[in-house]
Amino acid sequence: MEKDFIIAGFGGQGVLLAGEVLANTFMIDDKNVTWYPSYGAEMRGGTVNCTVVMSDEDVSAVQKSKAEFIIVLNQASFDKFTSWVKPGGTIIVNSSLAEVKKTRNDINYVFVPITQMAQEKLENTRMSNILALGILAKVSGLIFVENLAKALENVIPPHRKNLIPKNIEALKLGYEYDLLNV
Amino acid sequence: MTVECLTGKKVLIKGNYAIAQAAVLAGCDCYFGYPITPQSEIGEYLSGKMQELGRGYVSAESEIASINMVIGACATGARAMTSSSSCAVSLMQEGLSYACTDELPVVLVSVMRGGPGLGNIYPSQGDYYQSVKGGGNGDYRTIVLAPSTVQECADLTYKAFYLAHKYKTPTILLADGLLGQMMEPVEFKPYPYEDIDNSDWALSGAKGREPRIIRSYGPLADDRCEFLEKLFAKYKTIEENETMWEENNTEEADIVLVSFGSTSRNVNTAAKILREKGYKVGTFRPITLFPFPNKRLAELAQKVKMFVTVEVNMGQMVDDVRLAVNGKVPVELVHKGVGAPPDPEYIAAQVEGLI
Repeated sequence: MEKDFIIAGFGGQGVLLAGEVLANTFMIDDKNVTWYPSYGAEMRGGTVNCTVVMSDEDVSAVQKSKAEFIIVLNQASFDKFTSWVKPGGTIIVNSSLAEVKKTRNDINYVFVPITQMAQEKLENTRMSNILALGILAKVSGLIFVENLAKALENVIPPHRKNLIPKNIEALKLGYEYDLLNV
Repeated sequence: MTVECLTGKKVLIKGNYAIAQAAVLAGCDCYFGYPITPQSEIGEYLSGKMQELGRGYVSAESEIASINMVIGACATGARAMTSSSSCAVSLMQEGLSYACTDELPVVLVSVMRGGPGLGNIYPSQGDYYQSVKGGGNGDYRTIVLAPSTVQECADLTYKAFYLAHKYKTPTILLADGLLGQMMEPVEFKPYPYEDIDNSDWALSGAKGREPRIIRSYGPLADDRCEFLEKLFAKYKTIEENETMWEENNTEEADIVLVSFGSTSRNVNTAAKILREKGYKVGTFRPITLFPFPNKRLAELAQKVKMFVTVEVNMGQMVDDVRLAVNGKVPVELVHKGVGAPPDPEYIAAQVEGLI
């Protein structure tokens, strides 16, 4: 089994970090995994995405143009990546920064006001990326939240370890979000 | 991100960091470099780590300075390396030619990007010629190792230091922007090779012995001929002892797909797609680009019907495959100019079109 994931947004939203946490999660789960970034020369504000491929066998290719699961954190990414979702796949859309609009009927849409939730419940919009991973864990059924939490330990540098509890809170908030209410 | 040196445990790490960390574990005494995308993380990691370990790190003023600093350090017997990319490796060609004739164990990590000229920062395999054939003057060869995964980036960095010192020959680790920038789980095993004694040639201080001279100048024609014969006898020994490749499903194959580096992952998948369609397809991956596994390719040419090389360039390694196959069977090319390797489905469709 091989599954492809793309996380996209603008620079500064923590897209690459979220991908790194996701890839670490699969490594902890003893899967083969690759992470590959795509971004421009800007420090902030440009578009950025990364592809994570998880496989029980050798990873077939590092860069993909289709994925089973795509997280888009802003409108530009929603516009670009909708066509990249494989039929039957799922797109998780940050409806705080993208319009709730379905243009395909062969994929699943999950609209969640991610930025707003991060602000209201965690008082920190920078937790949006990790909150989105919690949603992905719920929607995909392929990721253990416990492993996501362990992955945070691998990724967050020693001098930022104080942020781990808050990030775990973000994961849980995403995971426990009631998708039926969307 | 600076990952500690842990053995026996997997870490998710970028190719560039894996190379840098493996260099540290291989006992690299000093690094000289000038930043360029897509390999800047190598210098970034070493700038902190080397200082922490009391080893040498110099952020050089140019790539020409970097390679010449490596030459100087290697002349003292140190394990020294530099790293760079495509257009900047061009600037090091003179130094490589000198290091070959000086017989110095230079380690150069070359992380290919798009070319020619300044090109772009996307992955590429356009420096096969540059690495394998060389851009410096005169008769020389460098050992060239081509990793295809991040794990191999680490393992072959160890090997690059070992071979460079064993044969006193500049050795290039030829990665690309995809390998440099991607992350994959890696296990950093302990450096597996023996230390090479350099006490009979290194410029270690002449107190109590005759002074030594390392120089590339050979004014007498006869002496130079003799030197070149000796140099090329060494290259022959390297060919006999160090040629590495990986092959799969070649025994029953009608078609063998040949690729190197990061492209091989996609090619293996393409071969699988083709086998599922009923074609007898094998794969062949040179790991050393010099020495090139031409003997094995010549053997395979006795029984397969066609070779197809797959490269992210306009067709470079295909020349060496054709030389090895020597007209016995057709050698076709599937390629893409620059960027991540072509999709496996695309490769499979192109190969199917050639059948």
